[in-house]
Amino acid sequence: MAKIKAAVINKPGRIVTIAVMTLVAVVQMFPLIWLLDFSLCNSNEMFTSGILVLPQKIQWNNYYLAFTNGNFLHYLRNSLLINTLAVIMVLIISIMAAFACGRMEWKLKKVASILMVMGMMIPIHATLLPNYVIYDRLRLTDTIWALLIPYVAFSLPQGFFLTSSFMSSIPKELEEAALIDGCGIYRIVAIIIFPLMKASIVTVSIMTYLNNWNEFMLATTYLSSKRWKTLPFCILEFTGQYSSNYAVQFAVMTLSAAPALIIYIILNKHITKGVAMGAVKG
Amino acid sequence: MHKLYSNKKVIFSLMAPGLIVFVTAILAPIILSTYYGFTNFSGIGASSFIGLENYKTLIHDSVFWTALRNSLLLSIGFICIQHPLAMLTAVKLDKLQGKTEGLFRCIFFIPNVISVAVIAYLWKFIYNPSFGLITKVLRALGYTGQLNPLGAGNAIWAVLLVLIWHGFGWGMLIYYTGVKNIDPVMYEAAAIDGASGSKTFFYITLPLMKPVIQVNVTMAVISALKQMETVYLLTAGGPGNETQFMASYLYKQAFQSYKYGYGNAISVAFIAICLVSTVALNRLFAERGE
Repeated sequence: MAKIKAAVINKPGRIVTIAVMTLVAVVQMFPLIWLLDFSLCNSNEMFTSGILVLPQKIQWNNYYLAFTNGNFLHYLRNSLLINTLAVIMVLIISIMAAFACGRMEWKLKKVASILMVMGMMIPIHATLLPNYVIYDRLRLTDTIWALLIPYVAFSLPQGFFLTSSFMSSIPKELEEAALIDGCGIYRIVAIIIFPLMKASIVTVSIMTYLNNWNEFMLATTYLSSKRWKTLPFCILEFTGQYSSNYAVQFAVMTLSAAPALIIYIILNKHITKGVAMGAVKG
Repeated sequence: MHKLYSNKKVIFSLMAPGLIVFVTAILAPIILSTYYGFTNFSGIGASSFIGLENYKTLIHDSVFWTALRNSLLLSIGFICIQHPLAMLTAVKLDKLQGKTEGLFRCIFFIPNVISVAVIAYLWKFIYNPSFGLITKVLRALGYTGQLNPLGAGNAIWAVLLVLIWHGFGWGMLIYYTGVKNIDPVMYEAAAIDGASGSKTFFYITLPLMKPVIQVNVTMAVISALKQMETVYLLTAGGPGNETQFMASYLYKQAFQSYKYGYGNAISVAFIAICLVSTVALNRLFAERGE
């Protein structure tokens, strides 16, 4: 198959294609290269006329400042913790609900699954204002719950949808054998279904991460202290603190972009596959 | 069917967490929002019930229409600029094969994994009139005038450019998956019949990609409606209210203008618009699909 395709496309054609792809890649990457370049410069060097600047002396100090004064590790820890908890909760809740709606026999299961998926159409920011009042009354503002609850709630519809459609492709015979052996429903879900859902677990995790990692409006509305603030605040606080030292701001931005980028490069194949599967089905 | 499968208690316990989350975190806020939408609550203190007053204001509120227009412009930008480029890139990328293909696919998606906060601040610098990348490129090309991309009149286009650039990899990846799912036998048959590259694209690739295009178009419209973070960090809806989107506008009304009740009325309209658009697009595509 690969051979035939390679034969169809001739050599010069391939070179043109690679040239065009490189151009697209440059357009996609250049702003980020620019960011990296200036994060290593002295602030004054930014005002020179060159589009990219070769720093006279690489200013590692920018990163040192960013790392120490930006509470980087604290915010990173919060981001990782909140997102991981959200992923775990979304996975458990959606697998349970998908099993109940897909496998079990009850009258309202169609209605329930429609309700569960409905959330996909509702924009998270439309609940920003009412949730503020609710969390304020319940004294949940400035706690981890103020972020976790909406993150889970708005990732759940997609998670449920993906797990349901994946679960329907798992043959029922395995469970039936287990049932005859006297296995209960909870054990079936935990021991038989869960391990078989690997592919969809990866997809749901990636989609949930990508949905929530960037989230910033809820965090800025519901959180007032540093306690649970997430990675984007690293940048926001720094731009206030070092408003005239642009190079340091660039270093903070590069630093905050790094964790997700590193994870992406390591898990590139899984993420690409996960997004493709999640998006095409969702 | 085994009787365990219809055990009500088990069903209830499995469904409970999901339904509780839906009711408390999605349904309850919407109901509360509908309630506040009928009041003139300012955020603190007393409020009174004012019926449909907020909605009447909303219909005559030019900023709300600007927000809708911006969402429409963004959808058009996604569908007419980003998608054709993404699709062509996907088709070409598919032909590269091997390591080069993987490398480019990896690079194209990179902006998507970078936090919106970084993207927004980065572009703020790129658009900076005194040392930004755009200014420098224009100067290198011999342009001497002053241009502020985020200034009045230009800002919405500057915002659209960022959003189209940022979402490119996502769209590309989905089209790429669509291309990968096309049976290579089709291409072989076309090649044997002597079809040219463009003919193959228009008569084989495009028709077979229809379902993927439909999914992508629906998602583009929805994400154009939901747009918030990037625009908020980049321009906060300004200058004036030129780059306001629905979500950023409701935020502004509630927390900066202290019109909490009015903000909720916008939320309700926002939800309604998203629901109607999704259903309408699905209907449209379902009818044409048959």
